[in-house]
Amino acid sequence: MTSIDVRDLSKEYGGRRAVDQLTFSVRSGRVTGFLGPNGAGKSTTMRLVLGLDRPTSGAATIGGQAYAALREPLSQVGALLDARAAHGSRSARDHLRALAASNRIPVRRVDAVLEETGLATVARRRVRTYSLGMRQRLGIAAALLGDPEVLLLDEPANGLDPEGIIWIRTLLRRLAGEGRTVLVSSHLMGETAAFADHLVILGKGRLLADTPVQEFIHARVRPLVRVRTTDTAALDDLLARHGLDASRDEDGTRTVRHARVDDLGRLMAEAGVPVLELAAQDATLEEAYLDLTAAETEFTALPQET
Amino acid sequence: MPFAPVLHAEWIKIRTLRSLLGALAGTFLATTAFSAAEAAAGDHTDPLYSVFFGVSLGQIAAIAFGVTAVSAEFRGGALRLTLSAVPDRRRWFAAKATAIALPSLAVGLLTGLVTLLVGKALLGTSGPTWTEGLRGTVGCGLQLTLMALFAAGLAAVLRSGVATLSVLIPFVLIVSFVVGDLSGGVADFLPDRAGQVALHSTWDGSLGPWSGLAVTGLWAAAALLAGGWSLHRTDA
Repeated sequence: MTSIDVRDLSKEYGGRRAVDQLTFSVRSGRVTGFLGPNGAGKSTTMRLVLGLDRPTSGAATIGGQAYAALREPLSQVGALLDARAAHGSRSARDHLRALAASNRIPVRRVDAVLEETGLATVARRRVRTYSLGMRQRLGIAAALLGDPEVLLLDEPANGLDPEGIIWIRTLLRRLAGEGRTVLVSSHLMGETAAFADHLVILGKGRLLADTPVQEFIHARVRPLVRVRTTDTAALDDLLARHGLDASRDEDGTRTVRHARVDDLGRLMAEAGVPVLELAAQDATLEEAYLDLTAAETEFTALPQET
Repeated sequence: MPFAPVLHAEWIKIRTLRSLLGALAGTFLATTAFSAAEAAAGDHTDPLYSVFFGVSLGQIAAIAFGVTAVSAEFRGGALRLTLSAVPDRRRWFAAKATAIALPSLAVGLLTGLVTLLVGKALLGTSGPTWTEGLRGTVGCGLQLTLMALFAAGLAAVLRSGVATLSVLIPFVLIVSFVVGDLSGGVADFLPDRAGQVALHSTWDGSLGPWSGLAVTGLWAAAALLAGGWSLHRTDA
C-alpha cells in the first residue's frame, strides 16, 4: 500500500502561486486522473512530488517518505514527465540502459519494457528518428523500468495514435489492477474518464475536486431531455408553465435542461401534447468539467466575434 | 545511494554519444597534429613547448567534451529524468565529473605520449630530454583533464552548452594568443595558461610546472563546486 500524499503544498515562482495549498492523496489499486487546464499546476505538483523542485511550503511524500530519501527510487516510483528527456543521438536501448544502471536494475528489464511498449524492433535506432508517439512510449518504458509500485505520468497519451491511446488505457487499467498507485495527468476530461477511477482536479494551483469519477458524473453532469412534437407551440407553453428551460433547435426539437424523461413524459401525456421523440441525453462530462474549471482557467480565449 | 552504479550510468551515457567520442578524438588529433606542425616548423628555443605546443589548441576540444557531457543534461528535461533516478544531486554530479575525468585523463596521457614520441622523432638531438618529456606528457594529460572539468563545472552553472562554449572558447583563444604574450603577469594564473607551464622547458614566471597544474586544478575544483552548488540549489 504505497500512496502519494500531498499536504498543504505550495510553490511560488516569482510571486505567482503555481501550486496553492494543495492537499490530496493518491491511493493504490486505482487510476487517479489528475486534471486541470494548462497552467493549473499539474506538472509543478508532479515535480514537487519527485523532489525536483523545492516547495515554498508544505510537503509531498510517497509511502510516507520524501522522494529524495528513497534509495534507488526507480524500483519504487516510475515517472514520465517529458517525452523529450531522451537524447536524440542515443538509441532507446542505450538511454534505458544508462537509467537502469544507475539503480542497479538488470539489463533484461530494459528489453522487457522495450517489448512491453512496442519499441523492441526500433530499440537500436537513434531517438532523433522517433515520432512523438514513439518518444512517449519510450518515456513510459522508462517509468516502467524498475517495476515500480507508484507511477506518475504527465500527459502520457500526448502524441499517441488511436491505437496507442487504447494501449495506454489498457496498460493503466492493468497497472492499477495489479494494486499499483497510478497518477495520470491530462487536460482532457473525456480522455481521462475512459481510464480513471478517481479524479483530482486543479485550477490555478488550487484543488477544485477530489472525487470518484462516478460521483463527479452524478453530481455535476446535468441531465438533458431531447423532445420532439407535432405541436411545438403547445410544448413550449407546457415547458414555460413548469419553468423548464429549453433550447430550440431548427427542426422543432427542444432540448430541455434539468429535466428527466419520466417527469416530462408524464407532463406531456397529461397535457395531451403529441410525442414524436423523447430521449434522455447526458450533457457531456467534458462540459461539466469545463463548467468547474472555467473560472479557474489561466488563459481564457476571448470570445470570437463573427 | 552507492556511488558505483551512478558512475556506471554516467559512463554509459558518455560512451553512447558520438559527439562525446568525437570530442575525445578531437582532443587527441588537435594536440598531436598542431604539436607535430610546430615541432617540424618552429624555432625550438623552448624544446619542450615545441613538442607540446598543440595542447593550447587541443584543450579547446577537451573543453567541448566537458561542456557537452554536462549540457546534454540540460536539454529537453533530461536532467529531471536523471535526478528522478538519482535524487542525491551532489553525488550525481560527482559521478558525472568522474565519468568526464577518467576518459579525459586516459586520452590526455595517450595524447601526451604520442605527442612526445612524434616530437622527439622530429626534433632529434635538439628535442627535450626524456625527463622533461615525461613531465610534459603527464602535464598534457592533467591539463586536458582539468580543462574538461573546469568546463563541465561552468556548464552546470550556466546550464547551457552554447553559453558555456561561447564564454570559454574566445577566452582560451584570446588569453592564449593575445594576453598570453604578456607573460609573467596575472595571465599566468588563468586556468588555460597555468597548467601549461609544465609544458615549457624553462619559464620566467612565478609558477613552476606542478604549482601551475595545481592552479588549474583549483580553477577546476572551484568550477565543479560552483556547478554542484548551483545544481543543489536550483529547481531541476
